Amino acid sequence: MISFVDVNKWYGDYHALCDINAEVAKGEVVVVCGPSGSGKSTLIRTVNRLEEIKSGKLTVDGADIQGPRAARDLNRMRSRIGFVFQSFNLFPHLSVLENVTLSPMKVRGVKREDARATAMRLLTRVGLANKAGSFPAQLSGGQQQRVAIARALAMEPPAMLFDEPTSALDPEMVGEVLSVMRGLAEDGMTMMCVTHEMGFAREVADRVWFMDAGRILEVADPETFFSSPQHPRSQRFLSDLRAH
Amino acid sequence: MWSVVDIVRDNWLLLLIGQYPHGPLGGIAATLILSVFGILLAFPVSVALALARLSPWRVLRWPVTGLVYATRGIPLLMIILWTYFLLPVLTGHTVSGFTTMLCTLVLYEGCYLSEVVRAGIEALPKGQSEAAKSLGHGYYGRMRYIILPQALFNMLPSMLSQFISTIQDTTLGYVINVQELTFAANQVNNQLLTQPFQVFFILAITYFVVCFTLTQATHWLERRVAARRRGIPAAVPVTPAADGLPLPTGEELP
Repeated sequence: MISFVDVNKWYGDYHALCDINAEVAKGEVVVVCGPSGSGKSTLIRTVNRLEEIKSGKLTVDGADIQGPRAARDLNRMRSRIGFVFQSFNLFPHLSVLENVTLSPMKVRGVKREDARATAMRLLTRVGLANKAGSFPAQLSGGQQQRVAIARALAMEPPAMLFDEPTSALDPEMVGEVLSVMRGLAEDGMTMMCVTHEMGFAREVADRVWFMDAGRILEVADPETFFSSPQHPRSQRFLSDLRAH
Repeated sequence: MWSVVDIVRDNWLLLLIGQYPHGPLGGIAATLILSVFGILLAFPVSVALALARLSPWRVLRWPVTGLVYATRGIPLLMIILWTYFLLPVLTGHTVSGFTTMLCTLVLYEGCYLSEVVRAGIEALPKGQSEAAKSLGHGYYGRMRYIILPQALFNMLPSMLSQFISTIQDTTLGYVINVQELTFAANQVNNQLLTQPFQVFFILAITYFVVCFTLTQATHWLERRVAARRRGIPAAVPVTPAADGLPLPTGEELP
């Protein structure tokens, strides 16, 4: 579904992504973890080309998203990849319902009534149907992030990307967002999540990618990764996590 | 003091509408019409200029940046004189003072407003544009539905202040015989000959009342925008409530 072949990226002299070769299969849930600055967010942002890559090939659902010819089709390709940000990025001038219906109507040409029906179904699913008329600033962080997930789902994307979706949340709101994500995973959504929620990774992930210094150092199923990590760097990372 | 009242009583119609209907519309009416049309026409110009200045294409960005810098670096009076002498040469027609002044105002205020628009767009968090991109919106969709509605709303008070300066700027139309309020006052002064202080006192008071009223309106609008921003923060990243608790909504969290 999402495949990286020899992907490299530099910020000036800094080698942000080194020789990334990896694949997310259809229906698979991949959790990308690793220390800060390891390139996790950069990696996930290359998948819908919020970041450009220097070399290599990145295909999503068979489409070469970073290729030179993608520029023309980029918006259509992006509309087929859901993206959830750390800082929610809801549109503050639009109501919750309008946040969810805007893009289906304006990008995909869905009729207003249909977009509204879909939006209400999705808002019900994330437990916020009663907030349809509210504005983002009237919602808590956890509610905003759930609306952001509904907004991304409204485009009916075959794959969803999550870039530290719970990092900006107060602890008591993390659970409500993770439970929505768990529900998506159970429904067979292809997901790639950058997260520090190791409990979520252990429970929900099919595979864990461990990154450091722009490289994927270890790919393992969560059971193996958390009980017997192979790479010395991931061993250190996990023991640091357990230390507190 | 009574002479001021007498002057107003004798000349109020001239100060209000100039020599209309026996001549061109003038006085406060002309000043306000000039200002309103100036700012209304300058507005789309300013959005276009701002978008060009933020454009990734140098062909657009460089000449427009040059134009804005040049305009902001030249006194308005100089631009008025240039337009006054250049416009007839370029078009091959005689152009009325009113039209000349309007064209100048649109260019001048358009350039100043474009900086306000640009600042408004750049003040929005980058995440807004990224979210719009990730949902598949192209450049037009991002600007039309996401960026401009927020940026322009935040800029409303600045735009109203710009409108107030525009009203004051119209006085310069006097030098090219635009029959606005200053021109009318000067006509009155030329008739009376002996009371320049009283006449120009009336003129100053009139401008003050118009501009002060609008300044008050700006403050009111600023408070409204600020209040709305508190409800719907636009220029700051969205953060959870400071106390970490969900707002009292009566909704049960799952």
